[in-house]
Order: sequence, then structure tokens, then C-alpha cells
Amino acid sequence: MKKTLNPVFLLLFLLLAANSYAQLDRSKIPPAGPAPVIQLGKYESFTLKNGLKVFVVENHKLPRVAFSMVLDYDPILEKAAAGYVSIAGQLMRTGTKTRTKDQLDEEIDFIAASLSTSATGAYGSSLKKHQDKLLSLLSDVVLNPNFTQSELDKLKKQTKSGIASRKDDPESVAELVSNVVLYGKNHPYGEYETEASIDKINLARIKAFYTTYYKPNIAYLAVVGDITLAEAKTAVEKYFGKWQPGSVPKAPYPVPASPVKTQVALVDRPDAVQTVLDIKHTINLKPGSPDAIKVRVTNDLLGGQGGRLFTNLREKHGYTYGAYSSLSADKLIGEFTASASARTAVTDSALVEFFNELRKIREEKVSPEELKRSKSGIMGSFARSLESPQTIASFAINTARYKLPADYYRNYLRKLDSVTIEDVGVIAKKYIHPDHATIIAVGKGAEIGDKLQQFGPITYYDAEGNKVTAPSATKAVIPAGVTAETVLDNYVKVIGGKANLEKIQDLTMTMSATIQGTPLTIVQQKKAPNKVLMSINAQGMEVQKTVSNGAKATMSAMGQTQQIEGKQMEATTLIEALNLELVYDKLGIRKQLTGMEKINGKETYKIEFTLPGGDKFYDYYDATTGFRLRRVSTLETPQGSINRTTDYDNYKEVNGVKFPFTVSQSAGPQQIKMDVQSIEINKGLKDEIFEVK
Amino acid sequence: MKKKLVFFLITGCLLQQVAFGQTVAVRSSPAEKTASVAAGPIKFTEYDLPNGLHVILHQDNTTPIVAVTVMYHVGSKNEKPNRTGFAHFFEHLLFEGSEYIKRGDFDKLNKGAGGTNNANTTQDRTFYYQIFPSNQLELGLWMESERLLHAKIDQKGVDTQREVVKEEKRQRYDNQPYSSFVLEMPKRAFTVHPYRWTPIGSMDDLNAATLDEFMQFYKDFYVPNNAILSIAGDIDVEKTKQLVSAYFADIPKSTKEIYRPTVVEPAQTKEIRDVIYDNITLPAIFQAYHTPAEGTEDYYAIQMLTDLLAGGESSRFSKEIVDKQQKAVNAGAFPFSLEDPGLFLAYGISNMGVAPEELEASMDAEVKKVQEVLISEKEFQKLKNQTENSFVSKNSTVSGIAESLANYKMYFGDANLINTELERYNKVTREDIQRVAQKYLTKENRVVLYYLPKSAQGKTAEETKK
Repeated sequence: MKKTLNPVFLLLFLLLAANSYAQLDRSKIPPAGPAPVIQLGKYESFTLKNGLKVFVVENHKLPRVAFSMVLDYDPILEKAAAGYVSIAGQLMRTGTKTRTKDQLDEEIDFIAASLSTSATGAYGSSLKKHQDKLLSLLSDVVLNPNFTQSELDKLKKQTKSGIASRKDDPESVAELVSNVVLYGKNHPYGEYETEASIDKINLARIKAFYTTYYKPNIAYLAVVGDITLAEAKTAVEKYFGKWQPGSVPKAPYPVPASPVKTQVALVDRPDAVQTVLDIKHTINLKPGSPDAIKVRVTNDLLGGQGGRLFTNLREKHGYTYGAYSSLSADKLIGEFTASASARTAVTDSALVEFFNELRKIREEKVSPEELKRSKSGIMGSFARSLESPQTIASFAINTARYKLPADYYRNYLRKLDSVTIEDVGVIAKKYIHPDHATIIAVGKGAEIGDKLQQFGPITYYDAEGNKVTAPSATKAVIPAGVTAETVLDNYVKVIGGKANLEKIQDLTMTMSATIQGTPLTIVQQKKAPNKVLMSINAQGMEVQKTVSNGAKATMSAMGQTQQIEGKQMEATTLIEALNLELVYDKLGIRKQLTGMEKINGKETYKIEFTLPGGDKFYDYYDATTGFRLRRVSTLETPQGSINRTTDYDNYKEVNGVKFPFTVSQSAGPQQIKMDVQSIEINKGLKDEIFEVK
Repeated sequence: MKKKLVFFLITGCLLQQVAFGQTVAVRSSPAEKTASVAAGPIKFTEYDLPNGLHVILHQDNTTPIVAVTVMYHVGSKNEKPNRTGFAHFFEHLLFEGSEYIKRGDFDKLNKGAGGTNNANTTQDRTFYYQIFPSNQLELGLWMESERLLHAKIDQKGVDTQREVVKEEKRQRYDNQPYSSFVLEMPKRAFTVHPYRWTPIGSMDDLNAATLDEFMQFYKDFYVPNNAILSIAGDIDVEKTKQLVSAYFADIPKSTKEIYRPTVVEPAQTKEIRDVIYDNITLPAIFQAYHTPAEGTEDYYAIQMLTDLLAGGESSRFSKEIVDKQQKAVNAGAFPFSLEDPGLFLAYGISNMGVAPEELEASMDAEVKKVQEVLISEKEFQKLKNQTENSFVSKNSTVSGIAESLANYKMYFGDANLINTELERYNKVTREDIQRVAQKYLTKENRVVLYYLPKSAQGKTAEETKK
């Protein structure tokens, strides 16, 4: 039959279509359609006589096959020769009784296969048409490895290079140090490779590892892809049937104790621009634990994609690109981790928020919406994972390996759905312990050291996991002869000289800025010796005004006027005095050159100023040009004190004196850039405008 | 097992993309690398809406999920030189909310419907994706149409995301060994073309940008006639067409010409060499050669040349430099292919005690061999097998297929290349591989960067060997 549509029918169809969507109301969230059925694919399994357990997932969408094998044995304590187990795994891929490494590489690449080995298993995949060749290579590597001194030496050299460069990567350092702190160096999870331990590795150890642990009776093999059960049976029998079983030793390990109270492990990385932060402790969570699904929900809510940590630390505060947590299960011992990389200046603020969230999820009920959202997120993730046939193979192997109920994964979504608000509370209290954790911080010690003390006692480590003493506060060496006085004198010189500065009797500076989309005009007026007025105007209205006659000061905003006194007055008006650089001593401001620091790649002299009341602020002067580049001062806010950083740029001359025409200020996530519109000198400002009532 | 040594995965950090959200590392077994793709051709439907939005639909009902993706033809190369980083920054802002999605709700809505989402920006395009259970297709369309029609951006969002992007830059480039070469290389390789800056852009430019400028960028580039809506998964094509029309058809077309740079990078005539001192222990070499745009005939030969040098353990770099001579812990190559002429990158990280000059000599020697000696039939067959394998394995997920279809359409004007691109590779001959090596891998045509430890700064080459 020809498929021509009857014109009337067509019209009706168009009308229907138009009708159903003409009412489209964009303000309404579209409703979900009927929930699709999420179906688990099938798998088959069989066991060879030698004990090899095989799981087959047949999937013909793609002309490919994959064989992945995992060995299940207790962790090995390697002691003085740490690293030999991992090297043994890699060495298996470097030659067999009948193939040199060159031959193996050539044959594997020629069929464009992937073939890899590790201490805990082997993997091979290729197009279906190369299946037989792939299996012959994989079984040769697994059954007949030939360990040679020359290949071992190559790997040892490579590994040593890796050890040497390990300290360059802050995340690797954080992981190494956290393992040392959590487990101790005499635990399989705490020990690590060193140059000395690699030197102790020899062929005898490698062979002993292989003959003891590479056994079919502790292996699980997943066969996935374009292959039938019958085909898989024949092939696996053919290529792995002759593999000899043997008894594999068990090794119990003590569970290390958690710290009595939270502690800090700090690794100094002087050039770091960010601090890699991990909050960690061990947990008793085994794979397949009845808590597992509730744990997944709890963790997702706290530290999954879009979870509380992400929302707070990134979306609310802008401290980091991402903040996450994990609660991982392990046969020996599991781990809780919360982590982020945060810029140096907000390292402590980020930790405060981390701990707020860890406490909150333990102490307060989560909302029904959050719980629902996390469950939906996990349901979706479960559904997406089924797109890969490998998932079904993993489910099958997990079920066998961890002795899960046969219907564990079939019931997964049902169990997920039944998790309650109370469950999350119980799980959070059981598995998240902010008061018995270790904070691992890899960052700029000189800047973060002091700020981390509030979180617990600090122990310093080097990048190799050894305890060290605290780093000194400054790094670059101050050249001989440079003092606070010479730096400040030079600054006065480069901006125009003392004589020109002294000619200024009063100054009116007008700046423009935008805050939260609102354009602002900021007018600052100063008069000798120390009268200051600052007025902030939005849309023609004065929204804030600070005025000081040198002895008293007030701040007005929204019709309210407040006296500013003591330290606060010093911090807001005293440091704004006209030609401050000429009158530090007169105003009782002490100054000290404390070191050198790099700012935006420029070496600067850092001068610490102490106000009469004891508060401090810091100015940074370019070591090359002499200009002031930055001021860091402390700002009191209802949320506590935060650092305010002011950067100066774009110096231009007015009446023989250079002023920064671009001033950028940041405090927390707030950022404001002020452009100077005009500077007027000696307009004859009257004393009255600085009057304080 | 918790013990591991990390060798820097240069290729990983080189993906020129920057993204809204970082990918959370998942402990994975090697087995998870397996792919699954429909055997035979990938079928799809494509058409334009009257407002110029190009729509591509691929139906695959195997798994009850659907990928809703939009690719905008705007990347860092469409930016003004004093406003770099805009395209990527904008990508962050477009998660802020819309007329009907309030700030912070974008992710919540997605996750609450069982979805996942992210976006990323390259020099050439910005790509947004959401993957849902298939009964949430309409939600995905609504959200993406809101993103295109109704973005709502306020100063608070700008201020927060500016900090987030700065952290992204610090985390990806400033705090990672070697990674700054992603920024350092283009700066030297390109003199006039906007590829001289990278999507992450300049933080000063972002600081200086005003809300008005961001809104103008939105009006200029986020228009239906500059986008491809690509949907793949458990859908009904006819029903999906109706929904697409309902949510997207009334979005007005832009009549303004979309800015695309036409500037042509002049041929480089002299080798450029420079040294970067980084927080590293092992020195590294990065070489970048100018190459033609993706999709050109020579581009395919260069792809195969890349496999010859760096595809697998038996490849020239791995076998000679890493395995036999043991001069490097890692040596490789990959094309940095872009819509306009891009770069071919070769790199090596010195093994302990190997001077970078020695390593560079070995890399150059391998290139010279390819230029002087025609590769054998057998080695050529290996390259063909590798090409076939990656082509067959490529489209492993519906979201990957949606992206591939959009890519092929956007850059080559032909989405069906997802099925036929292999033919282009099949035209490449052994002689072509030799010819492109001779033509492009020349000294005059390259930038060489030495990455040396900061501790070596100010020392002679002889001293740094130690």
C-alpha cells in the first residue's frame, strides 16, 4: 500500500500537533513520561576444573570481544622491597617463554588489540575477527611469562624516575602522605616505593609472587561482547584450561586506629597556588554490606555531583572548581574522603565549610527534596551504566566475589527507593567522623600553616611521607641593604618624590565600579594631616559614607550613623590618611620588611605594618619598579574576619605624583574593580566636610 | 590496591577542553574501557527548523536513556583579543539559570530527573549535554531551550563563577606539572590567529568584563542559527520532532552576521625555541608543528603518522625512545586538530639522568627516519588495522554518538561521516605518510619548548644533566 496521507487526515494531524503544544507554557516544568523499565541484561557463568570462574555477557551490537580477569587475594605487605608486586604485574607483559617483548608488542599492535597486565589481573580486547589471536597472546602472557633481568632493570629505572617526579604532582603527594598517616608505613595500604626499596627488587621475588598468587582458583574472568556461551566455553577451556591451581596464602592485617581528635598533616609546596585538601578517615565498610545502598545515597547527598559540598564550596563561595566526598568499601578497610583544591588564601575558609557540612549531615535531618533528588540521580546513573555490557559482567563478578544475594542487583532500585531520611542520619553518624579525621593539606606552608592550627595539631611531612619541621615563613632572600625604610623611600621616589607629595594639601578622587550589576560612584576626599571622607553613591543616592576628622570617625548607611572607634577606626580611616607614606612614624604605625613574595609573577618586598592598636596590614612593593602592587588587610564581617586584598595597577601621573588608576579589591567571593575617573589636587577642601558629629 | 605511581598522562591534560564541572575520578578497572556500538551504520534523521537550528536525531532503544545535546559554533577563537576566556566563562554562566529556572536549579532539576549533565568549551565550539532516563526527554528539551532563549545572568553569578574559573585554571594548569604548556605552546606557535590564546583565557580579561559585555556575547552567539541540537537514545523520532518544534521553533533567528575570524596564520619560517622553568623533576620536550585543518586530505595522513609514532608499545617513539634507548619515561604524539589549521604535538619526558638535548635528538631521529625511509607494507597494515579498530570502537555511548554527529555536521557539514570517514583514511598511502612527515615535520615549521626544573634555572646545560 502506498503511504499517501489523506489530506483531511493530514490537516487533523497538524491541528492535533499544534493543539497539543500551542499551550506551551514555558514557566512550567514539563512532566515526566511513564517511567521506562530498567532491565538488567543476562549473563551466564561456568567454572573450569582448575577453579577459574567465568562470566559471559553476550552482546552483538559491536564486532568486539573483551576478556578481563581479576585475581582476588589479600593485600601483600612488601616491606623492604616495596613495589615488587606492582612491578611483577607489569613485567608479565614484557615477554613469554616463546615471545620476546618486541614480538609481543608487534603482535598485539598488529591486530590493534589492547592487552595489559597488572598484579591483580589481566585484560585483553580486540575486534571479533582477531579473537583467537588475542586469546593466544593473553593466555601466553598469563600462563607462560618469562621474567628477564634486562626487562626488570628497565622497569626499575622507569619506576625510579616515577618516584623522583612523584613529588611534582600535589595530588600524588596527598595520596601518599594520607596513606602513611592513616595506615602507617608497616601496612600494605601505607607502605610505598622508594628508590631504596626498588633497588631491593630481584627476579627471585618477582617469580615467587607470580607462582604464589597468579592462580586460576582465585581468578574471575569476564567475557563480554560478540561471543556466545558455547564459543566462550570452548575458547576459555582451550586457552586457560591448562593453568595450574594452587593454594594462595591468607594474610590478616590489623585495622589502624582513628585519631583521638582531628589532626592536620601538612606538606609544604612553596610554589603552590592552590592547596590540595583531603579530609580522611578509615571506615568499617565491606563490599556488599547491607548498608551499601544507604551509604551511596548519603555520600551522594553530601559530596556527589551537585551535592552539599559542591553547592556550598563552589556555587556559594567560589572557593574551588569542585568539592566532593566518597565513602568507599574495601574487604580490609574502607575510607571516607572529602576533598577539594582551594586557592591558598581561602584554604582555611574552605575547611570551615567542609566541617560545617560534615557536622550538619550528622546532626540535622536532610530534606525530603534532597533525598529524593539523590535517589533519582543514583537511579539515573544505574540506568546509564547499563548501556555498557561490562556493567552486567561486573555485577555478576561482585555477586560471586562478595557473596551477595543472587537478586542483589535486580533489587537494587527497589532498595534504593526505600532509603529514608532516618537512614541517612544513621549512616552519616556511623560513617562520617569529623572529630576523628586527618586533614591532609598540600600547599604553601608559609601562608596556610598558621591558619590550619584551628583544625587540630599540625604535623609537617615532606613529599616522601617523612615527618619534618615546619618550613620557615619566607623563602626568597632579601638582598643585603634592603630594609623597610629603603623600600618605602624608593616608593616615594618612584611615585614622584617627597617634595611633590608634600605639595598636596587636599585630594579628591572619583572612581567608578559595578557591584552586583549596580553602577557605583565612589568619591574619596583627603585633607592634611589626616582627614578622610569616603562616599559611595548608587543611582544618584549616597548609600554609604565614612568620615574621619583625624580624631573621631563615623560611618553612615541607610539612615543609620555609627561611631567607628579604636582598632576599627585605625583599619578604616587611619590607613587612608593623605600621604600616609610620609607619616607612618608620626601616626605610630610600625613597619617591618618581612620577606619577599611573588605576586602575579613579580618578586615583591612584603612590609608588615602594625597599627597602634596592634592590628596588622601588609603592603607589597614591586622589587623591580618600586611601585606598590598590593595591600592585604583584615576586614571584620558578621561571618568573622576575612582577608581583603587590594591590587593597584595602571599608575598615572597627576600634578607630578603617580596614582594607581585601577584598584581591584577582593574579599571572599566578592570582587570589585574600581576605575579612577578623576583626581583633583588642592581644590581647597573645607574642614567642615570632614566634620564628625 | 592503593599503591600507585603516577606518570603524567600528558594526553589527558592536553585535551584542550575546559569544562563547567570537573569529571569525578571513578576507580575503574581496565575492563571498563570496553565499548558497545551498534554494528552497521548509525542511522539518523536531520533537518533545519525555520529559525536555522539544525536538528539531528538518532534512535537506539536498547537502553532507556536519552542524550540531549546542543553544540554552539562558538569557542575561544570567536573572542576579542582583550576579552579572552569569554566563551568558556559563558559556558559556566549558562548553568546559572534562566527566566524560568532559578539560580542553582539547573543542576537540581537535572539530577532530580535522574540526569547527568556537563559542558565543555574548545577553541572552536561549546558543547552542552544532558543524559536522562528516556521519559525525561521533554524536560531536557525545555531546559536546553531555556538556555538558548532565556539565559538569566546576574552580577552575583558572574562574581562566583569568576572565582570558580580561576580555581579551574589553577587546578588544571598552574598547580600541575608540565600542564602550563597547553597555554605556553599556542602563545608562541600562533602570532595573529586567535588560537594564540586558549579557552581558559586571561583572568585579567575576565576581571575586566562587564555584565553588559556578557549579555552581548550571548546575543551574538547563542542563537538557533549557530547551534546544532543533537539527540540520541531511546526516542521516537516523530514524537521527538514535535517536541523539538514546540520548544525551539519560536526562538528567534539572529539576523546579525556571526563573527568568525578569517585571519590566516602566516607560515612560520624559522624554528622557535624557548625554555620554561616549572615545578618538575624530570625535564620534558614539547614540539609543535603547524598542520592543516581537520578534515583535509593531509589531516588523515597526519592522523596515521601519529599512530606510527605513538600508537601502542610497538610504535616508533615507544619502542625506540622509551623501551630500547630508555631515554624517556613517556614519549608520544597527538594531533591538536582544530577547525582552522592547528598543531601536531610530539613530547617526551626524560628518564632519570637523561639530558633533554639527548631526548630531543632521539625524537628528531625518529621523525627523520619516517621522512627518509618509506614504511614497510606490514607496518602500514598495522596502522590500517589500528585505524579500523578505533573507528569501529568509537561510538560506544548514545551521548558519544550525539556529540560525534554534531561534530561532523559542524566542522565538515556532513553528519554521515560518522559512518563513512573510514573511507577517507583508506585513501591514505604509505607515500602520503612519508610526504606529510617531510612537508610538515620540519624545523622551520615548529616550536620547541624545553621544560626544565626550576632548580636548573641559571645553570648550564651540562649541570642540569645531573
